[in-house]
Amino acid sequence: MKIKIALAGNPNCGKTTLFNALTGSNQFVGNWPGVTVEKKEGKLKKHDDVVITDLPGIYSLSPYTLEEVVARNYLIQERPEAILNIIDGTNLERNLYLTTQLVELGIPVVVAVNMMDVVNKNGDKIDTNALGKALGCKVVEISALKGTGIEEAAEAAIHAAQNTKTIPQHSFSGVVEHAIAHIEEVAVHTLPEEQQRFFAIKIFERDEKIIEQLGLTQDNRKHIETDIEAAEKELDDDAESIITNERYVYIASIIKQCYKKKNNGGLTVSDKIDKVVTNRILALPIFAVVMFIVYYISVTTVGTVATDWANDGVFGDGWHLFGIGAGEYEDVSGEFGDAANVIDAFVTAEGADDVADAIDTESDTFDASAAASALDTFAASVSDDATADYTLVDEETLAEEDVTYTGAELKEAVATYTSYGCEEPDPADYGVWVPGLPGIIESGLDAVNCADWLKGLILDGIVAGVGAVLGFVPQMLVLFIFLAFLESCGYMARIAFVMDRIFRKFGLSGKSFIPILIGTGCGVPGIMASRTIENERDRRMTIMTTTFIPCGAKLPFIAMIAGAIFGGAPWVAPSAYFLGIVAIICSGIILKKTKMFAGDPAPFVMELPAYHWPTVSNVLRSMWERGWSFIKKAGTIILLSTIIVWFTTYFGVVDGAFRMLTEDEISNSILATIGNAIAWIFAPLGWGNWQAAVASITGLVAKENIVGTLGILYGGGDGTVYSNMASHFTVVSGYAFLAFNLLCAPCFAAIGAIKREMNNAKWTWFAIGYQCGFAYLVAFVINQLGSIALGTANVFGIIVSIVLIVLFIFLLVRPYKESTTLSNRAVKVK
Amino acid sequence: MLTWLSQNIGTIIVLLVVVLIVAAIVKSMRRDKKNGKSSCGGNCAACRGGCMHAQK
Repeated sequence: MKIKIALAGNPNCGKTTLFNALTGSNQFVGNWPGVTVEKKEGKLKKHDDVVITDLPGIYSLSPYTLEEVVARNYLIQERPEAILNIIDGTNLERNLYLTTQLVELGIPVVVAVNMMDVVNKNGDKIDTNALGKALGCKVVEISALKGTGIEEAAEAAIHAAQNTKTIPQHSFSGVVEHAIAHIEEVAVHTLPEEQQRFFAIKIFERDEKIIEQLGLTQDNRKHIETDIEAAEKELDDDAESIITNERYVYIASIIKQCYKKKNNGGLTVSDKIDKVVTNRILALPIFAVVMFIVYYISVTTVGTVATDWANDGVFGDGWHLFGIGAGEYEDVSGEFGDAANVIDAFVTAEGADDVADAIDTESDTFDASAAASALDTFAASVSDDATADYTLVDEETLAEEDVTYTGAELKEAVATYTSYGCEEPDPADYGVWVPGLPGIIESGLDAVNCADWLKGLILDGIVAGVGAVLGFVPQMLVLFIFLAFLESCGYMARIAFVMDRIFRKFGLSGKSFIPILIGTGCGVPGIMASRTIENERDRRMTIMTTTFIPCGAKLPFIAMIAGAIFGGAPWVAPSAYFLGIVAIICSGIILKKTKMFAGDPAPFVMELPAYHWPTVSNVLRSMWERGWSFIKKAGTIILLSTIIVWFTTYFGVVDGAFRMLTEDEISNSILATIGNAIAWIFAPLGWGNWQAAVASITGLVAKENIVGTLGILYGGGDGTVYSNMASHFTVVSGYAFLAFNLLCAPCFAAIGAIKREMNNAKWTWFAIGYQCGFAYLVAFVINQLGSIALGTANVFGIIVSIVLIVLFIFLLVRPYKESTTLSNRAVKVK
Repeated sequence: MLTWLSQNIGTIIVLLVVVLIVAAIVKSMRRDKKNGKSSCGGNCAACRGGCMHAQK
């Protein structure tokens, strides 16, 4: 026989951790409440006939939130064979409130007291035998995180399902019991005996959903109402409060019998940390510093080293295995490069085109001995005290330095240059050289005599595009480790709390911050998580603004812009994150003041979980799952997109004929034609070139596609993708490009999620329109005002920008009329 | 014909491999869409409960 066991408990008490441990599943575990909204099922390990259902975390069986409705409906309608009620041992009083209701359902209950390791560490004592007697069910001790006691808990639940019944031990006061007995007799006597008490209590509480479900007649309701009113009159309270109070009195008596706390009233470690990190003044600066460090390490330091290896090594020319020979190669390469700079300086200064042609290694007629001879003759013609100016550009930081070389230095440089055979040293000649994927694939294609167009598709399209995206995997994995750690240890839950304090000042709810937190991974679940917001106006607003936060897919793009246009400046990546947060807050304030979104903010109640060290496996699992999702996307949708981008880039009409194009002709390509047709729209943003315009459009398929597309479009010709990008953008237009693509409409998958959650075409279009409009205006202002610093400002653009800023400030600070109206209404009701 | 084939056999094989890969990708994407996975890349386990997709 199949046995169904439901895992029920308060939010963040460890249900999903236990579920994963029992079923071997990989459900996401987060150290904040509300991680599980839907119920999830899995088979108990080694027991194919036992199905475990992970229910959303709930505080009671009252239908106030979506989670409570989902959990209650499952328990009442599906009636599992047993309930495994997980309670947080460090917070017995609140957790037992749900337990007192679960034992009334008539389903066998086993209570698993979780976090016993923390309880023991704190020196507290829980008498589980006494607790079991007081509740009328078996109680077991577990630590879901450490995996202790979980098998015993599962066995106990199976045993309970087969052999026992849970009989509630708690009796309400006489008058309430009297009313309940009447209700049982009048309304629920047809139900199985063990279920009657739960329904009777709910009817006493006037639970409309239960009353509707039971289909009580008006006569019966009237009759019952008399009993309820009598109880209310005698106890001078409303029925629901009477039940709640009496449950807490009962819980207090249980705790007195079973629980001994070592430090009554003392501050726990979590409390002490919270005093600092949720401090009214320090909270935000601490959050800013934490996120800066996270992005700095992920994108600029550790992540960059790994990504450079992936980009330049695996998807580039190749790399020295374990760095063997790398030092020696760098020395000779540096020496050759310095000599080349000196020669280049004099060749340019003297206008010696014949020498330039002779040393051009890419020329078909290049001959090393002829080049050496041309250089020797040229050096001899320059006197030792002649000088030539040259501008050195640092590849990493793009910093420029003006230097002056002398004729004597030229002679030395020529000697060095010719000693290498007038050709750049080959890294394969030093140490253990592993060629990059493009090199290996190219050799393979050459070996089978593959046609040039197919070679182009594979190398310049698929490998360049997918490689450009996959090259950022190391950076993403580092970022995901940090995010997983911050979530698991409990810090992110504090940020929701801190943000609520700020949001509330502007009429927003901290509830909106949970979808935003989730949106840092992927916008789709972020948008979907907004369904826990009951207030429809707040929910719509959250859906519209959640994707402003940079999701994982936008990280490669941020890193690419930071590396290519800003020389890897450490502030770029954190600034993208804060730009997202500021956009959310400002949009929230502005929208909340419009009629469409006005209304009091939804109350936000959130239990702050205790800080704990996350397990390494949990952090790594979270990192890998998000990373794998990214890699999978690169191998599917991104790969297909790169084929389309390559085809439309390298095919077009030249002189009236449709044919494959050379690299010099791609301005005649299909993609260039499309890009040029729309590029004018982006010209006021500073990047009205067709490459950037089409990259923004392909980004709608998936945001990683921007990187893939830029990798293909800027990959050809002289120089690297980064150097070609740097020549097409200024720092100002580059940041405007970044800002636009961060804030504009998300990918199609997220737009689909917006459509589903809005459930209304008009609202969906409004959301997309708002996001694109907001992004456009932000990028416009950045470009126009930034151009002042570059000395390329346009008077009309500056005037429009100033008008926009004034309008923006007005919309931010204008009085919130609706709020006053609502408070007045509240006063009138009172 | 045979001469043309022998001259271009490498290109044909590589092209077939590319076409097979593309077909496999399209098939996998269609399957994911059918299973309701398309909206979020199908990584239900990492979607932190916001996603409505049933756990497979």
